[in-house]
Amino acid sequence: MKQTLQTATLDNGIILLGEFLPGVESVSVSFHVAAGSLCDSLSTRGSGRSCCGLATLAGELMLRGAGERDSKQLVAALDNAGVQWSQSVSMSHGSFAGAMVSRQLPDSLKIYADILRRPLLDQTQFDPARQVVLQNLAGTEDDPTHRTMLALRKAHYPSPWGLPCEGTSADVAELSHTDVKNFVTTFIQPQDMIISVAGRLDWPEFVKQIEGLFSNWQGQLPNPISVGDRGDKICHVPYDSQQTHIALAWDVPPYRDPDSLQATAALAVLGGGSSSRLFTEVREKRGLCYSVSAGYQTQRDLAAAMAYSGTTADRAQETLDVMLHEIAALPGTITEDELDRVKARAKSGLVMQQESTAARAGAMARQWFHLGRIRTLAEDLERLDGLSVESIEDWLAKNPLKEITTVFLGRDPLEVPDAVSP
Amino acid sequence: MQFRHEQLPNGLDIVAEVSEAAHSASLGFFVKTGARDEYDAISGASHFLEHMVFKGTDTLSAEDINLRFDFMGASANAFTSEEDTVYYAAVLPEKQHDALELLSAMMRPALREDDFVTEKQVILEEIKMYDDQPPFGADDRCRALFFRDHPLARSVLGSTSSIEALEVEAMREYHQQRYSSDNLVLAASGAVNFESLIKSAHQLCGEWKPSPPSNRKVHFCTTQSEIVTDVITREQAALEYVVRMSPGPAEDANDRFAAKLLAVVLGDDSGSRLYWDIVDSGKAEHAACNHHDFLDAGVFVTQLSCEPENTHALLNRIVEIYQGAENGLSNNEVDQARNKLLSRVVLAGERPRQRLFSLGLEWAHLGRYRSVPDDLATLDKISREDLHRILAEWHLPASSSTVLAGPLLSDSSSS
Repeated sequence: MKQTLQTATLDNGIILLGEFLPGVESVSVSFHVAAGSLCDSLSTRGSGRSCCGLATLAGELMLRGAGERDSKQLVAALDNAGVQWSQSVSMSHGSFAGAMVSRQLPDSLKIYADILRRPLLDQTQFDPARQVVLQNLAGTEDDPTHRTMLALRKAHYPSPWGLPCEGTSADVAELSHTDVKNFVTTFIQPQDMIISVAGRLDWPEFVKQIEGLFSNWQGQLPNPISVGDRGDKICHVPYDSQQTHIALAWDVPPYRDPDSLQATAALAVLGGGSSSRLFTEVREKRGLCYSVSAGYQTQRDLAAAMAYSGTTADRAQETLDVMLHEIAALPGTITEDELDRVKARAKSGLVMQQESTAARAGAMARQWFHLGRIRTLAEDLERLDGLSVESIEDWLAKNPLKEITTVFLGRDPLEVPDAVSP
Repeated sequence: MQFRHEQLPNGLDIVAEVSEAAHSASLGFFVKTGARDEYDAISGASHFLEHMVFKGTDTLSAEDINLRFDFMGASANAFTSEEDTVYYAAVLPEKQHDALELLSAMMRPALREDDFVTEKQVILEEIKMYDDQPPFGADDRCRALFFRDHPLARSVLGSTSSIEALEVEAMREYHQQRYSSDNLVLAASGAVNFESLIKSAHQLCGEWKPSPPSNRKVHFCTTQSEIVTDVITREQAALEYVVRMSPGPAEDANDRFAAKLLAVVLGDDSGSRLYWDIVDSGKAEHAACNHHDFLDAGVFVTQLSCEPENTHALLNRIVEIYQGAENGLSNNEVDQARNKLLSRVVLAGERPRQRLFSLGLEWAHLGRYRSVPDDLATLDKISREDLHRILAEWHLPASSSTVLAGPLLSDSSSS
């Protein structure tokens, strides 16, 4: 498959990434500003105030009017151009994205330039925006799986990585309009911003238009974040539910570390796909639960393996015991067949990603953020082909699992054995 | 995009939308059976059977099936609804035959007693999982209230007691009746080799037997004299979750697309009347209106989640918003909603996996094919007057059924 990947860097530090995808009418563009939830704590550094949720509130307010358009006019302009737009906040980025029929790209880029460079941050919109964030937080209170994973992140990651991206109700309730204005002025900067585009695309025209809209924007990001403490290794969140939710986390190398390939392959053997060990042993053979899985979550400098299952309280201890047993039993037992399946699934995933302009734009941006470059599909496939059982086992042997963070949400706590080795 | 159709002598319909630009092929069996085809003693059997189909055949174990899908790098899954049970796999084009071979074998499951006993535990876990999550059963309860004695009143999951009481023999009988060759559609989309698909289907499905034709449609009386409300109390919940249903056009109605456009004007996730009035202002976590259509009925579903103390005021406000819409919609809001829908159709059309469901369900229900350009042309032709006519005909403010789930107590439902 011939692939057309493009990159460019503007003088002010904005990175442009592009891929022409044949056979599609649409194009997807995403803007990733280095204003994620990790900046929440930076914005009040030294004041002793906690502002968890500031990045989320800033994203919400930025969409409520920009340039010449008020809140309603902005949404109408995006909707009328048929832009399927979204806004999100991760630990590292505030992101604005849109998928559309390609002829709408030039007009929608102007709108996104307004949102990023000329948000109105209207005082009258501040209270409703904060209410929306508070309502969303109240909604997550009722989702036991989400609460479990939040508790796991808090326990496992050092501060501020363990704090919830969406914020906390207590902090958001205390945020002011001035806090948001200061946040936007400080963190919505061209430095390290990634603009990624994929689909039916005229790259030279795109670069020219982005230069026109963004090249005269100057600004620098403040100093990086300092790392704080981690939470308790075992944590029980009392909750009156029929099911007990079990979540486990342990350290693995971040995506940019070459060893992450071995670590994620081992993790896929453990908990990816319906022939994985966790799915087979916990659900298929024992019928202990409906959902069980393990996955990989990476930031630039740290990453975690996370496993989850939800099951009836009286079967939760057995579920935990089986999960811990399978994690401990992995080193030394991976088979060629298991690796073949991991490779087949990963290859299909990479190829099918080429069918979605939005997935491609997002994936390129993530790869650039982690690696400082984008790999071609051929390169990614070649790396997969290079994986062997020996290389994975070798990595597992050199990096024995030392500690697992364990979180339960439900009526009763469970017993965790002292050692994780079998 | 090229549409292809062929029928095997045993009545199995095979439909495909072939796209040379696609990188993958998606295949699926669409079984014309779901909760509406059950009766009390087998409530939840369609969905349970969907799980059991993955537990193996006379020659394949459950593990074999999982291994094979993973070896071919397939993204495979299944779902059950009120009217359909769908099994599908997305694969790279060279795996087309392997995927069809496995999916077709699965349509003739062994339904072993010991697998049945183990999987019953998984189903019971799934029921508990949904019971712990918003909207805490309000959707099932509302559908039961709204559809009363009509088959669409049935729950897809069934209840803990119906699943516990279900016996494997009843499931075998149900499978025998519902998975006959002429009650299935094989659909494929993307980089499909149609000639090869037909050849494989002849070889793999040609021996399946048809069944006597059955009529699944049951007249649904949409005129309801009373407004019905029910409350499910969950003291621990932070928010109150509301599901409200009122009648709308069925899937064979000319107004089906217009009803969907109307729902976008009234209650899309953003830019709609409910959004600007209730969500944008932060009065509720979520407020939306959707139109769902079935073989013989249609329904406008309104969902609301908000702080419990505001529930009744907001429900009244939603009725006012629907009444306001009956006084007239603006050209601008109709065009804005139309542009959104047009874009969604175009973007979904680029994904073989998304096209598979439109293709398979349309054929299974209505025996016809609609291309992306067909859908775009239909949307383009809908006028503001069409939406006004639907508003007048279906009169959304006259609620049929409303269920609240959350901290509110049942005696608060009438306030």
